[in-house]
Amino acid sequence: MNWKRTFTLLEEKHAQKQSSRRSFDISDAANIALFLAAFVGIWQLVFLLKIWPAYLMPSPAMVITEIGDLIENNSLPIGIGVTLARLAGGFAVSLGIGVGVGLAMVKFRGFGKTMSSFAVGLLTFPSIAWVPFSIIFFGFNDSAILFVVVMASVFSVIITTYSSIRNIPPIYLRAARNMGANGFALFRHVMIPAATPSLILGIRQAWSFAWHALIGAEMLITTLVGLGYILSVGRDINHMETIIATMITIFVIGIIFDRIIFRKIEERVRSRWGLDQHTE
Amino acid sequence: MITSEYRQSATAVLKVNEVSKAFQYASPDSQTHVVLNRVSIDVKDGEFVTIVGPSGCGKSTLLNIIAGLESPDSGSILVKGERKVSTSRDRIVIFQEGALFPWLTVLENVEFGLKLAGVSLDKRRQAARHFVDTVQLSRFANSYIYQLSGGMKQRVAIARALAIDPDILLMDEPFAALDVQTRDLLHNQVLHLHETTKKTILFVTHNINEAVLLGDRVVVMSPRTGSIKKEFAISLPRPRDVGSPEMTVIKRQILNELEEDFHFARRETRTETIQ
Ligand SMILES: Nc1ncnc2c1ncn2[C@@H]1O[C@H](COP(=O)(O)OP(=O)(O)O)[C@@H](O)[C@H]1O
Ligand SMILES: [Mg+2]
Repeated sequence: MNWKRTFTLLEEKHAQKQSSRRSFDISDAANIALFLAAFVGIWQLVFLLKIWPAYLMPSPAMVITEIGDLIENNSLPIGIGVTLARLAGGFAVSLGIGVGVGLAMVKFRGFGKTMSSFAVGLLTFPSIAWVPFSIIFFGFNDSAILFVVVMASVFSVIITTYSSIRNIPPIYLRAARNMGANGFALFRHVMIPAATPSLILGIRQAWSFAWHALIGAEMLITTLVGLGYILSVGRDINHMETIIATMITIFVIGIIFDRIIFRKIEERVRSRWGLDQHTE
Repeated sequence: MITSEYRQSATAVLKVNEVSKAFQYASPDSQTHVVLNRVSIDVKDGEFVTIVGPSGCGKSTLLNIIAGLESPDSGSILVKGERKVSTSRDRIVIFQEGALFPWLTVLENVEFGLKLAGVSLDKRRQAARHFVDTVQLSRFANSYIYQLSGGMKQRVAIARALAIDPDILLMDEPFAALDVQTRDLLHNQVLHLHETTKKTILFVTHNINEAVLLGDRVVVMSPRTGSIKKEFAISLPRPRDVGSPEMTVIKRQILNELEEDFHFARRETRTETIQ
């Protein structure tokens, strides 16, 4: 048929927009290397100028040696392991409760309205202010730390779940219902994927709240393990190398999660949806 | 014009029975706005009916009520004599735009209805491939929706509806956002599908040319009264030429019906401003 041929012609013209998007290419790596070199160079220079004594401002080499020592005596590997386990545990609880409450808010209108003002209010509450409450309630233990982490992030998860689902374009839900989607199938096959781009953004933010709160809680709620605890030990014994070495570790972990894990997921979803067209 | 006996014919696959719908506005004076006022349409099996009326006259509302996506204030929808109050797979809507799922590929979109019905992966893939083929999009089976042009998206929407194998296709201005050439191609494709599948089609549009080009029957809606003004049976063979003398006569008659309303609306607003 004639119109069939015309379609094919139209398709030829409509070149498929295949994007060769890579989040991390050579020039990115070069930029980072350059930035690091400049940073370490300035640090070394400041050290050499002896503005501050070495116990206040150690050299990059001294800090690197310290990192080696901390790895060798196992305090850094154990600290990282414990801290990440607490992060995973606390964040998992936050996600579970937050998504559950968020969904209940979508389901029950009145509860949703009340709860959203309450949760938004608690979003601005400084998570570290939960620490005294938590210590007295739970004692100096993992539960107290987990509690602070959950309180720091759960409201963000609640709000993000609630708003992501409520902001799904109604046309998707109509089309799905029309094709026979109801109840759990609608939720699983339409609401969750449709809300994903916005959910990821919110969860990424909730993760960073959890991470901030965790290090603070570990410093204040002494449990003898964890990166925050190593920091507080460094302060107690006036050992700047330990403090800086741990800070660098915390920084690197943050970068790995945020830049690499979360951004990768986000980019995959966004490119699939075609949400990054304007940046090309 | 259609006689009332035709309207009451017993062979109707779809019967829209005295459907009324009003919307309540949330404004302080909380007016009600009557969108549909005792609308009745009978559609025979395999018939291609177009509904024409200006924007805002309630075409989408009517189609959504027929689909079971909205409920009427009064009146009923009968499919093969059975009263319908919710959505079901015998009536599938093809929306104007934006109803495809951007998180799924073309193929996954087309098999979506089958997945919901619990059809096994192998079977639904095979079926989806067939319908993607029917709308000539095999090469784009694994593309995501944003990679398609507007016309291709609507073809995917058609394939997605066909895969569910409904008795009735409800098309809500599906080509309104497309350029003229693409629309012409899609008109031909829809007519071809109608010919080969014998599906009953209810096609809503604000475009008179489109209405007379496609329909066995054109239903003219009045925005003023929220009801059906007139129906025109068109027995001209397809493909039709919108410029032919016979078509021009029908188009003129439809236009007259719509313009009458338009003048009335203008007079009304004028008196309102004077008051
Ligand atoms: N959910 C709704 N609430 C209030 N008014 C509505 C709603 N949906 C449609 N309307 C109103 O009903 C009228 C008909 O709308 P619609 O059926 O979309 O018209 P059409 O599809 O013919 O353009 C419009 O005036 C519109 O503003
Ligand atoms: Mg409409």
